[in-house]
Amino acid sequence: MRTRPPVWAEATLRIFLKADAFASVAGDLLEQYRDSILPNCGLASADRWYLKQVAGFALRSVFAWAALFAGAFVARSALDWFRPTNDFQTRSHISTAIAAALLLAVGFRTAWQSRSFTAGAIAGFVTTAIAAALSIVGNAALFATWHDPGTMSAIQDSGGLGEAFELPVVLILPGIVLGGVGGLVGAGISRLARPT
Amino acid sequence: MAEIPGTFEQAVLLAIVRLGDEAYGRAILRTVEEGLGREVAPGAVQATLERLENKGLVRSQFGPGTVIRAGRPRRYYQLKSSGVFALNQARKTVERLWCGIPSPLKGHA
Repeated sequence: MRTRPPVWAEATLRIFLKADAFASVAGDLLEQYRDSILPNCGLASADRWYLKQVAGFALRSVFAWAALFAGAFVARSALDWFRPTNDFQTRSHISTAIAAALLLAVGFRTAWQSRSFTAGAIAGFVTTAIAAALSIVGNAALFATWHDPGTMSAIQDSGGLGEAFELPVVLILPGIVLGGVGGLVGAGISRLARPT
Repeated sequence: MAEIPGTFEQAVLLAIVRLGDEAYGRAILRTVEEGLGREVAPGAVQATLERLENKGLVRSQFGPGTVIRAGRPRRYYQLKSSGVFALNQARKTVERLWCGIPSPLKGHA
């Protein structure tokens, strides 16, 4: 019988930890998995417990980036709804640049510490997925508070409710790509600057 | 005045004090859980240890691995003198705040 968590789960954990922290943290989790969780709960529950811990580390690692991303998205919605303009293109360029910079940075940072470009893509995915949830909640709060005819008209003119609630989910795919690009650069520079 | 550690930081620092030479990640986690009387995520303790180390309140060093850990090292933590000072400050502050108030506190619910 298997007495350690799935290899891919440990590999995912490695992505979200600094290189010098991984060995001791993975050792602590493995110790707990083997001498406490597995004997008491069985393999399936032990694996679920381990995945929950990995998810916790992933969440802690990228949450600040996701919150910034979601903050920028909700701020853009608020600007469009409460300060309507005819020049949405300029606003769009600015918010796209901010989002791209954040995703490139999160990909770069994660890949820098793990030295893996895949880490950047995965970090991009986790960041945009969390940001999507936060953005939808944020926009829903705005909409629940302000839905007078003037605001409804501004919402319609700025792309409608679809843009507020569907776009964050649509952005997950570009998030993976941009995280991967940042990761490619981060992993490359990390390998050049910090040879093993 | 030096920054006073938060409640969770104090729980982690006190776990290190209690454990002495055996203060490594998992042992700290168990001691914190016992002290707070609730389940705590390993990631929360790890993040706090990292923060305390960055603040200069604790130091760490790697020890040998064991079979159950697949040879992975334990990271042992120790309080620095600034950590001892911070804990003493935290205790003094709480004692000063409670000074003169009867225990247990009777409320006006």
